[in-house]
This record gives sequence, structure tokens and C-alpha cells, in this order.
Amino acid sequence: MAARAIWKGELQLGKHNVGVKFYSAIEDRSIRFHLLHEKDKAPVEQHIVRKDTGKDVPKEEMRKAFAVGPNTAVILQPEELEELVPPESREIELLRFVPASAVGDQWYERPYYLGPDGHTDDYFAFGEALARKEVIGIARWVMRKKRYLGAISAVDGYLIMTTLRRAEQVLSFSGVEPARSATPQANELKLAEQLVKSIEADFDPEQWQNEYRERLYKLIEAKARGEKIKPAPVKKKRAEGSLADSLKASLAAAKEKKVA
Amino acid sequence: MPSRKRKRAPEPQPEDESSSARVRSLWSGTITFGLVSIPVDLLTAVRPRQTAMKLVDTDGHALGRQYHCSKEGKKLDYDDLVRGYETDDGKMVVITDKEFESVAPEMSADIELRSFVPLEQVPALYFQKPYFLAPAGKSAKAYVLLAETMQRTGRVAIGSFVMRGHEYLVAIVPDNGVLRLDTLRYADEIRTPETIGLPKRSKASAAKVTQFAKEIEALTHQALKIAELEDQDARKLQSLVESKQKERDDVIHPKGAEAAEDSEGEGAKVIDLMEVLRKSLSNSAVVRTAEASEPINLAERRAQREARSAPAKKKAPAKAKRKAPRKRARRS
Repeated sequence: MAARAIWKGELQLGKHNVGVKFYSAIEDRSIRFHLLHEKDKAPVEQHIVRKDTGKDVPKEEMRKAFAVGPNTAVILQPEELEELVPPESREIELLRFVPASAVGDQWYERPYYLGPDGHTDDYFAFGEALARKEVIGIARWVMRKKRYLGAISAVDGYLIMTTLRRAEQVLSFSGVEPARSATPQANELKLAEQLVKSIEADFDPEQWQNEYRERLYKLIEAKARGEKIKPAPVKKKRAEGSLADSLKASLAAAKEKKVA
Repeated sequence: MPSRKRKRAPEPQPEDESSSARVRSLWSGTITFGLVSIPVDLLTAVRPRQTAMKLVDTDGHALGRQYHCSKEGKKLDYDDLVRGYETDDGKMVVITDKEFESVAPEMSADIELRSFVPLEQVPALYFQKPYFLAPAGKSAKAYVLLAETMQRTGRVAIGSFVMRGHEYLVAIVPDNGVLRLDTLRYADEIRTPETIGLPKRSKASAAKVTQFAKEIEALTHQALKIAELEDQDARKLQSLVESKQKERDDVIHPKGAEAAEDSEGEGAKVIDLMEVLRKSLSNSAVVRTAEASEPINLAERRAQREARSAPAKKKAPAKAKRKAPRKRARRS
């Protein structure tokens, strides 16, 4: 079944506008539960109350306050907050293009597939041009009353926009120079490199399943039928030794596996 | 990341993380690859946006949430709540805490690395949330060895680990001498152009591609411009707040007001990332936010923290009380 677009916008590139539709690239598979009162299994209601008196507060008397110190805050009135809402626009501003490696994965927040809105030719031409230049675009837009930053890339001809975290949220490092005692020897580096190569593989996400989710579903189904199921736990082991010894032993084990 | 157990006994703490590299320590365990093991601490890597607000009433009294029974109308405590799953035919199946535990993955303190893959093979679509790994105990050497080897070979490690009853698929990625752990989405959580129903890929006109390529080239740079990535919402909000504060307009002094949005690892120990790295890895380590040109100043921050810690401690009992009844309805 085709997914529904959540928003429509226009990529602005020089004199060109490319109409696109946004689709979530994520399928939420988390299992949702209702909170119930244990005694009568009635659903719970959430009340907003004054902390000191426990009395209910009606919605029109709720305000938001921004903390400016440990015990000081400033109330923002609804009309003031309304003024902070960015003006609506269909425009997706492309700020610059950079090599994909310029954006570390810690920036990436939530991906959207873009589909063509109108001119299919423009859409695929833009994707092809991105791929040819081997870059991704940094974009800024307003969607559903909120400002977003994103990185647009082409994957197999299709456009993907992944929202980015803000600069203030991302931490970076420099000057990490370990003490001499923590600096690995040349032979250790060589062994480690061999070990990495021995368990090198292609990224194959299909081989990983969320087993917890599957077990939880089975449990729910069994209970719905009035049955009970027994879980089967998994065991793990670990060895200890000096760093170089462990590397050698691991390497030997990895080689054996390959031969077998 | 919902956890029910953790919320029963929350650890009180000062909450301001805005002006420093303060992070939360969420988990301790061991990276294992082959027979090599590296003890590490898992720390939060994303700082909250500075747009979170607290809920108060028109007079500035702090507000909080409470659960009430929809049948009896009375207030419920945490221990009065259970979770129910509604089946497609409208039946409510109650799952008890014991049953949740029976299907949870076995407790393990290992991050088991299964394979090393080229970084560029992991699509951006998969990255969910970054964390830092700091060496624990005397593991600095093995930690540096792993980071350096991955850097040299251009490989990242793929593995899995269990935290608070959930099993996570992860990539371990080197970042300037520090190891980051990124949780990854599972393949069945990712849509494809086919499942969305996008039109079949078609060949674009060569002239148009060339036109676009030219436009792209004119805007191409080698690096990001951090100023473009700053939080405009936070800046606008802060300047409004500052001007109101100057005019003493709507300034209040709420006690124990609750943040409107939840931040991860509430109740977890707050530590200073730069201090941790300097102690465990390298005395010269410098941490900064992407937007700040100045490294975060340790001494200044310590002074700020001390100044803050006194009033924050007093609030502690009230905070502990409020957190107990919160229970989230979502598990995956």
C-alpha cells in the first residue's frame, strides 16, 4: 500500500524549483501499550495539576516558562509564543553542497524519502546531478510550523532528506593524544589490523532482527489466546589475557573459521 | 528509551547541562571483539536543544502530571498501573512487569563486535542516536588500539548490546581518537521507494542533469558552515526571554517546575565529558560544541556548577516524588 505524503515543498536551486513530497522513511514498529489501572483495568487519564496543592489546572491557565537560572524562569504568554512561530512557506532553501564525508553521522536525526510532486523529470535529474557531483545538499525549511535543517542526498536515483541536529547539540573533539603507556606498539597495531580484516564483511542489515520485539509479540498473541510461553535465554562467553595474546588467539580462531 | 525500573528510585541531581560538556553516564560494560575485551562507559552524546520549557500556571506555580483512573476518578500511584495491549479485534491483553521481564534479552555487559564494515556502506538512514564510549579502568591502550585500527582501515564495527531490557544494533565509529557508539535502526524499520510507492526511476534528460550539476557546483564547498546549522529557534526564544527579564516582565521563581519535554537518561549520573576523557584517555583532550570556537573551560565551569549545586540539592526530595508515578506507554 502506498504511503501518504506528510508535506509538500519546493527545492530551490538557482532559477529552478523542484517540487517534492515528503514521506517518512521510518516505519515505526514499536509495540504500543495503554496504561491501565491494575485493579479495574480501566484506562488512565492524565491530569495536569499544581504540584503544591495537587489541584487540577484547566488548559487555559497553563503557561510555558523558560528557565533562566536554578530558581528563576520567565513566563512566555501564548501570543508571544505565537510570534516565534516561523512564517509558513513551501520553499526548501539549499544553502550549500558538501561531500557526504563532511557530515558526521552524529548530525543525522530523522530521514524522509522525497518523491516527485509534478515534474518527475526534474526530480530524477536533480538526483542524477547530486550523484554525478558526489555531494549532498544542506537545506533549511519550515514544515508544519517548525524550522528544520537537513541533508539531501541521492540513493539509487531517489532523493532522501535527513533532518540534522543543531550545532549546539553536537560535541566535537580535538587533541586526544594518549599517554605513552596507552599508545599501542607497532606489532599490536599490525595484529589488530589483521584481526579487523579477518572479520571484515559487507554491511548486511537484514541479518539482524529485533528479537525482543518478536518475543513480545509472541507473548501477547499467546496471552490473547489464553496460553503461556517459555522464553529461551541466550548464553555468552568471554576470555581474558594480555592484549597481544588475545589478538593472536582471536586471529587464530578467525583463521580456523575461514578454513572450515 | 523507556525504563520502568529506573524511575522507581531516581537519583536527584542538578539539571543544568547547557553551558558545558556535561553528559550522562547511562551504562557500563565491555566491548569484546575476538578475545579482546575493553571496559567502557556509555555516555550521552547529544545535548538537549535549548528550547525546552517548563509548565506553570498563570501565577507561576509549578505544574506536574498525575494519572487518574477513568472509572473511579481517583489519583493513581505508579504501582497501581499496568500495561495493556489492544488487539485488532479490540481485546485488551494485560502484560505484567514479570512477563515483560520474561521476554527481555538476557542481561549482559558486553558489546559484542561481530564484523567490521566500510563506513560508507552504512546508509545514513540507519543511524538513530549517537553515544560516546569512554575507556573505563585501565583499558585506555586497548581502546586506543581499536580506535586507531578502525581509523586506519576505514572500517566501523557492527555489533549489538543490551541496555535496560532492550537489544540494540550498533555501529562503533572512531571520531578523532574517541569512540562513538551509534544505535542503528533495524532493516524492517526502514521503508524503500517501492514500499512507499514512489514512481519508477526514469532516465532524466541529459541537458537538465547538466544544468542542475552546474548549479550544484556553484554552491559546492568542502566543509559545513556551522553558522548555518545554529539553532535559530533557541536564539529567538532566548532573546525574547532576555528582554522580558530586563523589564522584569513575567519573571517567576517556581519551585521544582517540571520540564515540558523529557530528556534522555533522567536520573542517570551527570558527569563532565572533558574531565572523564582527560582522566581516562588523554590529558590534552579538548571538547567543544560544533558551534563554539572556544573549548569549554573547565575551571570556569566547575565554579558555575558549585554555585548551582546548593539550591538544586534542596529540590531533590520533591523531584524524586514526582518522577515515581511517570510511566510511559511505549515499548519496542
